[in-house]
This record gives sequence, C-alpha cells and structure tokens, in this order.
Amino acid sequence: MIALEAYSLKKTYRLNNQIVEAVKNVSLNIKSGEVVAFLGPNGAGKTTSIKMMAGLIKPDFGWTKISGINPHKNPSALENIGAVLEGNRNVYWRLNPQENLEYFGVLKGLTHNQARKSGIALLERFSLQNKRRTPVQQLSRGMQQKLAFAVALVHQPKILLLDEPTLGLDVEATEDVKVLVKEIAASGCAILLTTHQLNIAEQLADKIAIIQKGEIVTELPTDELIRKFSGKTYKIEIESVLDKERIAKLDKINVEVEGNRIIYISQPELIYQVFNILEPLQIKIVEKLEADLTQIFLKLVKEGNR
Amino acid sequence: MLELFFAELRCSWIQFRRYPVESISQIIFTSAIFYGLFVGAGYVAGSSFQLGDRLDSLVVGYMLWVLVNFVMANIAGGLQSEAQTGTLEQLFLSRYGAVQVFLMRGLAYLTLEVLKIVIILFIIILLTGSSLYFPPLLILPFISVLLGAYGFAFIIGSISLLLKRVQQLIPLLLFPLLFLLTIPTETWTGTPKFLALLIPMTPGAGLLRSLMARGDSLDLITLTIAFINGIVYFYIGISFFKVAEKQAKKRGILSGY
Repeated sequence: MIALEAYSLKKTYRLNNQIVEAVKNVSLNIKSGEVVAFLGPNGAGKTTSIKMMAGLIKPDFGWTKISGINPHKNPSALENIGAVLEGNRNVYWRLNPQENLEYFGVLKGLTHNQARKSGIALLERFSLQNKRRTPVQQLSRGMQQKLAFAVALVHQPKILLLDEPTLGLDVEATEDVKVLVKEIAASGCAILLTTHQLNIAEQLADKIAIIQKGEIVTELPTDELIRKFSGKTYKIEIESVLDKERIAKLDKINVEVEGNRIIYISQPELIYQVFNILEPLQIKIVEKLEADLTQIFLKLVKEGNR
Repeated sequence: MLELFFAELRCSWIQFRRYPVESISQIIFTSAIFYGLFVGAGYVAGSSFQLGDRLDSLVVGYMLWVLVNFVMANIAGGLQSEAQTGTLEQLFLSRYGAVQVFLMRGLAYLTLEVLKIVIILFIIILLTGSSLYFPPLLILPFISVLLGAYGFAFIIGSISLLLKRVQQLIPLLLFPLLFLLTIPTETWTGTPKFLALLIPMTPGAGLLRSLMARGDSLDLITLTIAFINGIVYFYIGISFFKVAEKQAKKRGILSGY
C-alpha cells in the first residue's frame, strides 16, 4: 500500500528580488512500513520538500497524496500524517507528556478517551511513564524528542515525517531514536526522514534519495546504492599533510581528497598515478574499501555542483 | 468540534492552576491602572470631582477594553508566541484546520477571561464606589461585542501570521481601542452616530454602557445593529485569517521568516 506519493513538486521563493528555486522537481513513493531517507547538504531542499508533503507549504507545481488524499485540498489527509519538525518544539513545554498526548490526540481527530488510551500506551512504549507528570521543560532533550515522536504517533498515522530527527541529540538519545524509528516502521508506519547525517540514513533507511539543489540526484535502495559503488575503492592515508600542488593534481584526475591526508580512489586504474603524485611522501595505510555512504554522497554532491 | 473545545478548556485550566501568578498579577495590574487613573482624575478635578453615571460608563468601557485585550493576547499574541516557540506548525497539522483551533481556543479561554474580568470589576467597584446594573439581557450585547472582538483579534492574527512580529502593533492599538470603548457614542447624534455604528464593537459597547451604567432598557434596533456589526467583523476576521493562512503556506513562512 502506498502511504505517500509526491509528484513533480516544485517550490520557488522570491528573496530580495532574487528567485530561489528551493525545490525543482521532487517525486517520491513510500510504501507502508518503508523507511526512506532524504539525504542532502544544508539548503538542498529537504525541509521544503517534506513540508510540502505535510501540507504546510503550498507547492508551485506538482501534487502530493497521503493514502490517496491530497492534504492541500482535503484536511482529512492530515489524520494520516504525523510530523516531528526540526527547529520546532513540537510539544507544549508548560504541559506534561500525558497532557500533551491528550491534547494533540484530540487535535488530530481522536476523542479525549481515545487520545488518553493511546497516550498511556505510547508513554509506556517510549519509556516515559515515570515522567508523564513532569512538565516538558524539565525533561532532557532526548526525552523531549521521544515525546515529540509519541505525539506524532498518537493518532496512528500512516506516514511519519521526521525532519532531522537526531539533530542536537547526544549519543544515547540518538541510539534511542534509531531504535524507535525501526520499531515504528516494523509496526507498518511509513517513514520519511531527512538528514544530513550519512550514518543515520545508512542504518535506518530502506531507500535513500539524495537531494541536491532541489532535485533528487539518485534514489535507490540503500544496499543497492552502496553495492553500486563498492568493491573497487581504495583508500590511501599519508603520514603528513598534502600540499596544495598535489591536491590540485589529484583533483585533476578526479580523485577524492579528505582532510588533506586521506585519498579515495574509486577507479582502481588510477592508483599508480596517485602513487606517482604522492611520491616520496610517507604512506600510512593503503586499503581496499567497501564504499560507504560518505563517499557516495560526496561524489554525487560534487557531481551535482559541477 | 466539541471535543476540541473541551481539550482547549482543559489546557486553559491546567495552565491557570499551574501558573496562577500570571492571572493574579494581571488582575492586580489591571485593577491598579484603573484605580490610578481614577485617583489621578480626582486629584486634577479637586473636591468637585463627581462622575456619577459617567464613572459607571467608564468602568463598563474599561472592562470591555480589558476583555478585548485578553482576546487579542490569546489569539494574535498566542499565534506569535507559538510561531516563536515552534508549536504553530503542529496546530496547522490538525485535521480541524487552524481557524477552528484558534476559535475553540479563544472560546475556551473566554471562560477564564470572564472570571478574571468579574474579579477585576468587583475590585474596581469596591475601590471607586461605582454602582452598576446587571440585567440578564446584557448577555446579548456582550455577545455582539465578543463577535467583534474575535473578528478584530483574527485580523491582527492574520498580520501576525504574515509578519510574525506584532509586538509593536498591539500596544499601538491599545489606546485607540480604549478610546473606542469608553467614549459614549450612544449619546451622539447625526452623522457621527452613524459612523460610530460602523466601528467594531462600538454599538454593542454603547448598549452595555446604557444597560449597566444608566439602567436603560434594551433597545432592540440598536441590538440588531450591534449584532450585524459583530457578525460582519467576525466574518471579516475569519476571512482575513484564511487568506493569511493561504499566503503563509504559499510563501513558506508558516513557522518563521
């Protein structure tokens, strides 16, 4: 079952007499239980895309449907959306978790009793029962984020939109969020999450859509994306720091340089050319890599920039 | 919609119980301002200071002004603070739609606001010696004023939604509002009287002053005009807000700049 469909979404803003194309052409389909990550650098159009799908920003072109209903035309579509938005509090700090869940449950179409029951179950599921009567402003950042998740799920939506869900969280809270996302997807809810954190996308997503300058540059199942680039990559780490001349030479032959010490070579035939350029610098490590998402992402974003 | 109203009512009472200092300080501050003005006027006028019905009329006008302030703070001020703290977008994700949410919230908070006003009124009556009539029919012009107040608050709310900063706008409106609600437009004649009927809340406020300060009977024609005035401004306010919501979504500024 398709939980979310987006077709040719486009959004342009006028900013100080300049036209900014925030989103040029974004199309996406997400099935129930599927986790899709929108991966991209800052300003790529992730948040604008996700808010268009939630009905919070009106697209200039294209349409979006949640379980077959367009949220811009029919507000009943909102009964099937839950969202945790970045940069927002998402919950009321003066109320406690139980009160927040009951309030937002009603706001999303439940009766008070339904919201209360759902709230109690979610508090238990998210290990917040002990804090259910503590005003949210007194909770840790991680607990506040877990509550935001709970509030987004109180009405059992078909799709959960998460905008940078782990941003600003410590390691423990991030791990909690990752576990939650997997559990929520396993229960049948479709999830679209935006992130610029590659390891989050790699660990959580079934499918990754890399977005750059408002357009999806690639969209593949996660393991297929990694497989596409794997098996051929070499990593060379040198003892000292590369000088500008050597960096320019390496750049010319389309080889990735990271942090002035690490070189990634995705075309194995170039390896001896790279050694010639590096001579006589001391080499620390030479290894063959299974490409990870970092490299894929950097490569695709760099190609997008060209 | 009833579920939404009760949810908002619960929230309003939770916050009142949990943070009573805010309401108490509002009551004290509002009573003190009027009493301060009253004592000041008495000092200026000297021993011949006798306001009679005029004091009662001013008290009614002042209380209506306080009510309108509460309504504006709740809707327009509330919108702005929700945008700043980051819960506004969650409200716009409600299947009820933002207009219904803010309307039900306004009505729910009204119960608390009316209670505060009754307490403030009681304090002012005690301090100034004012005496007012409280006929049950006063509820009718009161509703007409409320309709206009909500309409006005939604207009300011629309501006808040698009510009986000109405902190300077609200104080600027406070004094013209006080003027509108305290001057006895019901005693005017001719063209000024006709023009006064077009200003929001003025016909209803005039009726309330007549009923409560002077003990006059309810004039049905003026009541009809007051209701038309209230309904028209209410409709304008809601329409403005719906347009503002569409614009904010088009410009992508629902949550911030």
